[in-house]
Order: sequence, then structure tokens, then C-alpha cells
Amino acid sequence: MRWRLVGKAELITRCRPYLGTFVEISVPDRHANAIEPAFATIAHVQQCMSFHAPDSDLARLRDAPAGVPVAVDRNTVAVLRVARELYDRSDGLFDVTIGRELVRDGFLPRVSALHLGRYTGCAVDIEIIDDQNVCCHRPMLIDLGGIAKGYAVDRAVEVLIAHQVDEGLVNAGGDLRIFGERVWPIALRDADDQIRWTIDLPSCALASSANLQDRRRSRGRMRTPHIGEGREAVASSQRTSVIADRCIIADAMTKIAMASPALAVPLLNAYGAQLLADPDEGMM
Amino acid sequence: MAQMKWSHVIALPVLATVSAPVSATEYLSVADAQRVLIPQAQNFVPFTVTLSPAQLAQIKKMSGVPQHNAQPKIWRAMNGKATIGWIIVDEVIGKHEFITYATAISPDGHVLGVEIMSYRESKGGQVRDPKWRNVFRGKSVQDQFKLNKDVPNISGATLSCRNITDGVKRLLVLHALALGRQS
Repeated sequence: MRWRLVGKAELITRCRPYLGTFVEISVPDRHANAIEPAFATIAHVQQCMSFHAPDSDLARLRDAPAGVPVAVDRNTVAVLRVARELYDRSDGLFDVTIGRELVRDGFLPRVSALHLGRYTGCAVDIEIIDDQNVCCHRPMLIDLGGIAKGYAVDRAVEVLIAHQVDEGLVNAGGDLRIFGERVWPIALRDADDQIRWTIDLPSCALASSANLQDRRRSRGRMRTPHIGEGREAVASSQRTSVIADRCIIADAMTKIAMASPALAVPLLNAYGAQLLADPDEGMM
Repeated sequence: MAQMKWSHVIALPVLATVSAPVSATEYLSVADAQRVLIPQAQNFVPFTVTLSPAQLAQIKKMSGVPQHNAQPKIWRAMNGKATIGWIIVDEVIGKHEFITYATAISPDGHVLGVEIMSYRESKGGQVRDPKWRNVFRGKSVQDQFKLNKDVPNISGATLSCRNITDGVKRLLVLHALALGRQS
């Protein structure tokens, strides 16, 4: 796709299916050659952090015996570091070991011969040994669905900048990051799938989460892909959007803000992030 | 990165009601998709095939997804006289979306790449007030933004690309049944 902002360079946008969603990369068309390496980075993050792929780092972490160090990609360590930090700073609310709940509720597939009862570990049991080694001290099912898309977006932006791209936008299914001087109009898709608002954003990251359209009934209870306090499903009728400087933070913070707004506010402040409310609600 | 460069934006009334439902985003033409997916090909030759009812049934059985089009859009990627791959342009329909995508498959049946060519959303009856009220930097979005369709970038709940994943699986079976021996 090509489109032009008056007085600005023509942009080219490409879109590929990655990370379980549609990833768009927009750059000035003179930098079209940088799109391929940026997509390659996203493909690499997908390969490392896929829950489904049998040779991903996550598969190797869940297959390894508890207490045994596992060599993983540096990118996986980088994401797990942020995940551990957010676990600690959110009093355990943000926990990437929710794979057990997501498999149980049918949001993730039953990979290999899973006996869900075995996987009792939580993020506090993840030890980051160094930049390439991780040890899970109890069996656990790690799912990075709440954070890896944001990380992949950040990495793709880094690759574009390393290729001297001066402005652009990477959007992984609604988790996006803008860089450069241009101001971009972004449409916000509400929880009911309607688009009611657009916002003009300069260089920043924006992530949104909603689960109104993604619910299941299981064992007599409402299940969603968002797990909150007490490892119970969080059902929200609203879209939650967060602006931050890094997309990994924006992505993860939407989960925390959706599960516990009270907990989220000080944490958002600590990361220099902000919840984006609709205008009639005022800005938080 | 400039610290909190965006923070001033939050203080401004930057949200605007949207003029129309998102309708269509065009990413790549057929020719562009071919070149992007198999850049080393010298030319792309249309390949006509009509799948038999038995083949259609077999595709559904093996991929789990029905192949509706008995005459899929296929090109043979050529380098001299050698076939170096196949391009199949296909469509999938989701809950709201119609997606045209191109899949490149190697002669031995591996996916070389997938590119979304266009993404269209059908959302009838939701067209709202066409006035943009954006006052960011004193300009309306229409002043600075030449839009003939809609805002291309959207943030919201993650949309699944499951229908594309299923579509590619189906095209791999199609390749094995109808194209593999042509290579």
C-alpha cells in the first residue's frame, strides 16, 4: 500500500501474518529495503517465543526438568527479564506462567502430552542465569502472548532505525510503535469491534487489549485469555489502551491495567506510561 | 529516544470521531507480491488448473479446510526453463474481514513466504458523522492526510490470523495434489 501525507515522503506499508496476528510495517518508500530485515526479526521472535512450535524456547523450557538450566535465545531472556520485573512490581499480577490456565480454558492448544496438574510454577520460579540461560525451578507453562508482540515491535523498530530509516510505524495486531518526526493518525478499535475514535500520535508506543469478543464458557464460568488476581479470568467490557515509550511496556501494561486499574496507576507512572481513556471519560 | 516525547499529546483533545468504518487496505498488487516473494524469478507464468471434485474433497480431508475455488489463481515462478516456485493468490473470509494473500511455495512443497495483499473489513451500517474534529496542531486530519479509504493503522484487541494459517495449510495440500508433479 502507498499513501502520501501532504508535503511528506510517500510511505509503503507491508503486512504479513506473524505472532498469530497481522503485522504491518510502514516506512518511507525510499527505505523499502529495510522492511524485509524488520520482518525477519519478527519471524525470529516468533520462532523463539511461540507457544505452539515444538522447537521454540518456550517448548524447551516446558520440556526441561525443573531446576535444569536451559540455553535460550537472547531475545527470550530479554523478554523474561521484563516479565520477571513486572511480576515483582505488580505483586504477582503479571505472570507469564498462565499457560496452564490458557490451555485449560482452550485459548492455547494442548501441545504434546500435557498433564496440566504438573505445571505448578509461577514467574517467581524463573531464574535468569545470564543473557542466554534460564532455569525454571518448578514445572511451568510459560506463555508470552501478553508481552512478546510488544517486544517484537520494539525489535523491528530497532532494526529499521539501524537501517537508517528515519520514520515509520510497526503494528503487530494493535500493539504498535511509531518513530520519527511524523504524526500518525491511529484508529482505536473498541471492545465491541467498533471504531469510534482516532488519535494523532507522534513517536511513542501504543498497545490495546480487549476480550469482549474472545470469551468461552468452561466448567460453568466465563473464561477469557486475560488472567488476573487469584489466577482468575478477567472479563472487561472495555478496550484498555496504554501509551509508553517502549511497546513491550505498553503491551504488558494493558494486561495489568485491565486486571487491576488501582494497581496499574502507580506502575504506569513508574514506567512513564499512561492509560488512554476516551475523551468523555477524561484523560487519566 | 526523547524522553516522553508524546506526553504533551495526552493533554490535547486529540481524539476524534471516526468518519467511516475501516473498509480496505491494499498492500501489494499481484505483480508486487510475486516480486517480493520470489525475487530471483525471471518471470511468472500463469498456470491454469481445474481441480476435480475428488481433488477438492481430498484437500478438505487433508487440510481440514474446504477449497472453494476449483480454479485457483496460480503462477509458476521461472528462472530460464526451471520452475523455482509457485505463487498462489487466495482469499479467506473471517468474521468481518476479507483477506487476499499470496503464498509462495517451493517446488518441493515448502512455504517460501506469505504476504497479505489486501485486507478489507465489512461493517455495514456503522458509518458515523463524516466530520473529523481533530485539532492537533490546528489542522484537521483531512488537511494533512490524504485519505481515500480510511486510517490504515488500528489499535485494539488482537485480531487472529488463524484463517490465513489454515489457508496456507490448504494451499500446501493443493500444491502436493495438483502442482508437485508439474515442477
